[in-house]
Amino acid sequence: MQYLVRSQGFGATVGVIAMLAVFTVIDFSGWWTVQTLSNVTQFTAILALVALGQALVIMTKEIDLSVGSIYGLTGVAFITLEPSLGVPGSLVVALLIAAAAGFIQGTAVVKGELPSMIVTLGGLFAARGIIYVWTGGSVHNFSPDARTHALTRVLGGELFGISAAIYWVGIISVLLAIMLWGTRFGNRLLATGGSRESAESRGVRTDRVKTAAFVLCSLLAGFAGILTLCNQPQTHVTLGENMELEAISAAVIGGCLLTGGRGSILGVILGALVVVSFRYELIALGAPSSWYITFVGAVLIVAVIFNQKLARFLGHSV
Amino acid sequence: MTQQPLIQVKNLDLYFGAFHALKNVSVDFNAGELIGLVGDNGAGKTTLIRVLCGIHAPSKGEVFFDGKKVEKFHPKLAIDQGIETIQQSVGLCDNLSIARNFYLGREPVKRIFGIPFLDFAKMREKSSRVIRQFGLRENVSADDEVERLSGGERQSVKIGRAVEFKNRVVIMDEPTNHLSVREREHVNELAVQLKEQGLLVIYITHDIFQVHKLADRIVIMENGEKVADASTDSMSAEALEDVIRQGGRVVEKEAV
Repeated sequence: MQYLVRSQGFGATVGVIAMLAVFTVIDFSGWWTVQTLSNVTQFTAILALVALGQALVIMTKEIDLSVGSIYGLTGVAFITLEPSLGVPGSLVVALLIAAAAGFIQGTAVVKGELPSMIVTLGGLFAARGIIYVWTGGSVHNFSPDARTHALTRVLGGELFGISAAIYWVGIISVLLAIMLWGTRFGNRLLATGGSRESAESRGVRTDRVKTAAFVLCSLLAGFAGILTLCNQPQTHVTLGENMELEAISAAVIGGCLLTGGRGSILGVILGALVVVSFRYELIALGAPSSWYITFVGAVLIVAVIFNQKLARFLGHSV
Repeated sequence: MTQQPLIQVKNLDLYFGAFHALKNVSVDFNAGELIGLVGDNGAGKTTLIRVLCGIHAPSKGEVFFDGKKVEKFHPKLAIDQGIETIQQSVGLCDNLSIARNFYLGREPVKRIFGIPFLDFAKMREKSSRVIRQFGLRENVSADDEVERLSGGERQSVKIGRAVEFKNRVVIMDEPTNHLSVREREHVNELAVQLKEQGLLVIYITHDIFQVHKLADRIVIMENGEKVADASTDSMSAEALEDVIRQGGRVVEKEAV
């Protein structure tokens, strides 16, 4: 119990329990139905992947606003390169593009000593612009062959009625948790976010750690884009728009402190569940979809207040 | 003393933009010596040791470590050479446990299926021993986050860390600031112990009287320059204090 309260994911856990209780009592659309649950979990898995990358960056006390555009760009690359490279080839190249985007932005932040908010805002626009130029604004589809390719099915299909993205988020979150709490890199990443100067004085190359976090973040965002397109192989220019806001919200609701050095992998997944559930429930309610962003904003503010109060209560210096 | 100095600083200049922070500083530091580095705020003491621990690279001049010229300045390289710095406000990450802080930058690993994982058992065991040895509160454990610790306890963890890894140089930057009287005595005893084990100890402070009792030699900095360098046998604390008070100018001639 004490461990639960002390972990950063506590707020999100409480939030999810409260939310599920409310949705059960005030049930507009049949919440506990197979259809609803499979939709919500599928979207949650995709958002969680993007938010997990975001969380790594936030834990180093930076932020990445470009994830939505990178998500879209990687997806577009994956679909449009497939005719010439084949599914495996375009998968690798698309992920390389994502990694390169993360590397360039991370390097600009650490070498240029620039605020990541500005650099990645530039990345957001630049990558979105490339999507427009690349697709010419038109829709691209997978060929029937590519749709039935084994790799496409592994990334976008189903097993026992559960979509592939959920398995992927399960595997990746376990790997990330082990990396974060059980390896040298994780220890140094948390130290970099906690106190960059202190970490540096112990010989930690904090610029490399931060760059690596940006690369991982872009890779995860890109991978999420690929998973989405393997499920529904059709690109459009708005793919991943506003996703950075959802991902940051999920990470923050999940207990990542913007002051760096603290976060929770499970919390981020629960945070993504909260964001996606609200979207789904509002649509089911028949509310205009534009209200959704307002709600995410409100939930985000409540979550930040709650998590900060909790952190102060636990004696953390935030 | 005929042995070659462990650290030799030769004609060191350092500029921060237009600001001339260190002016033609030359000092020798020998192994087994406790050196008090004294001066007012902004005298350049901390800047000098920041060069020695690899944070700043000199603009001009040379630094020799163990007779070899230092070409690259980075904290990691300094630590690898066995230069441990205990800084005033830096060195511990509040968000990490004592054990994680203790080994930050050189974490021990245990391979499972060839993958290096942190060796938590080892990290806990060694840092717990230091916690007990340095008299931290009974209820503090190696798994507690550093932010729970008092100022003295933080200092103890840093010094414990410096002692535990076999270092050759320990630089202490105002180690007794914010400490209680008993904690201060404890820290000073440790500094002398380190020296007796053959390490070079550089002790930075404002308090000439405190360090005069411990040190073999006192180096005084003023305005980015070295203004005095004398053994504690040859100059009394009062005489050295006069050097500081007069900004080094008058007594410099007598001291040289």
